[in-house]
Amino acid sequence: MDKAIMINIEKCLACKSCEIACAVAHSKSGVLEEAVEELPRPQRMVTVEAAGEFGVPLQCRHCEAAPCIEICPTGAIQRFDEQAPVVVDADLCIGCKLCMLICPFGVLQIGPEGRAIIKCDMCLERMGKGQEPACVEACPTGALKLISLKEATKSKRREASKQLVKEVEQKKSKSEEK
Amino acid sequence: MRKIVIIGGSAAGMMAAIAAAEQDPDAEVTVVTRDRLPYRRPAIPALIAGYITGPAGAKIFSPETLGRYNIELICPAEVTNIEPKSKVISILSNGKEEKLAYDAAVIATGGHPLIPEIPGADKKGVCTFTTYEAAAEIVETAKTASCAVVVGAGFIALEIAEALMYKGLDVYFNVRSRILRKLVEPEVSEFLIHKFEQQGLRMLTGEAISEVGGKSSVEYVVHKGNKIATNLVVMGTGVKPNVALAEKCSIELGPSGAVKLDNRMQTSVVGIYAVGDCAESPDLGTGRFVYSPVGSIGASAGKIAGRNTAGANQETAGFLRAQADQILGMQIFSIGHSTTSAKEVSLKVNVHDLSPPESTGKERITKPFEVAKLLTDDNDKIVGAQLVAKKYGAQFAWQLYGAVLARENREEFLERFNSPRMKVAEALVHAIKSTVVVESVGEDKALALADTASQENTN
Ligand SMILES: Cc1cc2nc3c(=O)[nH]c(=O)nc-3n(C[C@H](O)[C@H](O)[C@H](O)COP(=O)(O)OP(=O)(O)OC[C@H]3O[C@@H](n4cnc5c(N)ncnc54)[C@H](O)[C@@H]3O)c2cc1C
Repeated sequence: MDKAIMINIEKCLACKSCEIACAVAHSKSGVLEEAVEELPRPQRMVTVEAAGEFGVPLQCRHCEAAPCIEICPTGAIQRFDEQAPVVVDADLCIGCKLCMLICPFGVLQIGPEGRAIIKCDMCLERMGKGQEPACVEACPTGALKLISLKEATKSKRREASKQLVKEVEQKKSKSEEK
Repeated sequence: MRKIVIIGGSAAGMMAAIAAAEQDPDAEVTVVTRDRLPYRRPAIPALIAGYITGPAGAKIFSPETLGRYNIELICPAEVTNIEPKSKVISILSNGKEEKLAYDAAVIATGGHPLIPEIPGADKKGVCTFTTYEAAAEIVETAKTASCAVVVGAGFIALEIAEALMYKGLDVYFNVRSRILRKLVEPEVSEFLIHKFEQQGLRMLTGEAISEVGGKSSVEYVVHKGNKIATNLVVMGTGVKPNVALAEKCSIELGPSGAVKLDNRMQTSVVGIYAVGDCAESPDLGTGRFVYSPVGSIGASAGKIAGRNTAGANQETAGFLRAQADQILGMQIFSIGHSTTSAKEVSLKVNVHDLSPPESTGKERITKPFEVAKLLTDDNDKIVGAQLVAKKYGAQFAWQLYGAVLARENREEFLERFNSPRMKVAEALVHAIKSTVVVESVGEDKALALADTASQENTN
C-alpha cells in the first residue's frame, strides 16, 4: 500500500480532534450535532494514547502482512487489493476476537452494537471522494498526515543526510577545538 | 453435480458451506438451520445490555454473502433425520416434511446449555443464553427484576453478568470452584475475582447454589445456607454438544460426549463430517481430540470439513485455542493450555510466573500488565500463556500467541520478551514490515517513551 497515515508524535497536542472527527465520519448522520445524540454512541477508531510527555494518535497501521487478516478464521478481515486498506466485513465476523489478540497495536475493538469487530477503514468512503481521512483532515498541527510511502522515504532520507552532515560538522568543530 | 448439505447455520456450518462452495463452485450447497436468520452468538450480551433488540442487530452470513457463493439457505427448518444408507436428510420446514439427497453432509448443530442439577432449576425465571430465543427471556425477566444470580465460570457467563450490571441490576456471580478454571491458573482467577468485586460484582464462591426456591417462578436461591432473594437466575455453566442427530444415525461419539472425528473432520460414517460445538477437535501439539467449544475453532474446522465434502483431502494437525475478552475493565487473554486443559490431554506442564523483569537504569520497565503466566512442557517449550491487563494487553498477547503457536523455548522467548531494547527493535522491524510510519524520534527517546508508557500502565 503506498498511502499511509504518518504520525508525528512530536507535533501531537493530544487535543483529540482526530477522535471526534473519526467518530463523526463513522456515525449514522455524519454530522457532529446529530452524531452526539446517536445511540449507540458513534465509535472512534483512532485514539490518542498518552505516553509520557507525548501523545500518540494511533489508528490501524494497515500492515502489509497483516496478522489480523491471517488469523481471522472466516475471512472477515480482508483487503480488496494490495493498495487497499484492511477492512472488516461484519457480515462474516463471528465475534471470536482472535484479531484483537494478535494485533500488536491493539487497535481493533468490539463494536458495542452487534459485537462485530470494528477498526479504522482509512476512511475508504471519503478517500473515494478524493478527501483525506477524517483524522488527518481534523488534525490542527499536522501530527497526522496522509503520505505516500515513496514521499516519506524521500523526506526521511533527506532528514538522515542532514543529520549526518550535522554530526560530521560537530565532530570537525570538536577536533578543531582540541 | 455434487450435493452437499450442511446442518446448522452458525459459525462452523456456514464456514463449511462457504469452503465447500469455494472448493467446488459447481457443487449444490445447501444449509439447513433452525434459526430464523444466522446471527453472531457473541452478540447475545449486547442484546441483554439493550444495544440491540433482536438477532437482526447481529445478523451474519446475509443473503448477499451466501448468494455470492450460490449457497441455498433453508430456514427456519429442523433436520429430523439423516439416513446414511440412502444418503437422504429429512427436514421439517413450515410443518412440511421434505427430503434432501446428499453426497456429503456436515453436522454443525452446535451445543446446548449445560444445566446443573440443582433442585428448582426448572422454575420460571431460570434462564440460559446460548440462543437468541433463550436470551430474550432474560431480557423480559430483567425488566422487572432488581437482582440477578448468574451461575457459571467462563467468559460468557461473566459477559452476561456484566451486561446485567450495565442494566442496573445487582448481580451475584456463583462459581463452584473458581472463575475461568479451564482457562487460567488459580492465581489469575483470584486476581480477577478481586477486581470484579471492586467493580461491584458480588461473588458467591466455594460451592454451587444448593436450591432455587419459589412457587412457580424463582423467588430466591440458597448459597451456603443463606437465602438470596432474586427473580432471575442465569445458568452459564457451559455447553454440552448437541449430538441428537448424530446419535440417531449411529455416529460414534468420543469420550467427551461430542462427535468423534478423524483429522479430516469426518465422522465414523463415511461422507458425514461434523464441526463446531457438537464435535471434538484435535489439540495442537498433542493431536489429542478434545472438546473445545469456541467459534474460532469451529470456523477453522468448518473450512476443512467443507473443502473435504467438495473433493479435497485436507487434514489438520490440530487447532490452537486462543481467547480474548474484555470484562469489567480487564483485558483477559488465554492462549493454548492451562493446567486444567493440559490434564485432559495428559500433558505435564510447569507454570511460570511471567513477571516483568527487574532491571536498572534505562532498561528499567515497570509492570505493564497485571498478571501473566507461561506454561511449558517438560522440554521447556511454551504450550500455554495467560495475561491480564488493564489496557495494553494486546501489545503482549500477540507475542504470547506466537510463542505458543511455535512452541518456542521459554528462555529464548523471555530474553526477547523482557528486553525493552528488543521491544523497540521488534516494534521497528514490525513497523517496516507493516508500513508503519512513525516519524523517527531516535532510539533514546523511543526507549524513554516505552519506559514512561509502561509506567503509566501501572498507574
Ligand atoms: C455470549 C457468547 C460469547 C462467545 N464468545 C466467543 C469468543 O469470544 N470466541 C469464540 O471463539 N467463541 C465464542 N463463543 C462461542 C461461539 O459462539 C460458539 O463456539 C459458536 O457459535 C459455535 O458455532 P457452531 O456453528 O458450532 O454452533 P452454534 O452457534 O451453536 O449453532 C448451531 C446451529 O445449528 C442449528 N441446529 C441445531 N440443531 C439443528 C437441527 N436439528 N436442525 C436444523 N438446525 C439445527 C442451530 O439453529 C444453529 O444454527 C461465544 C458464545 C456466546 C454465546
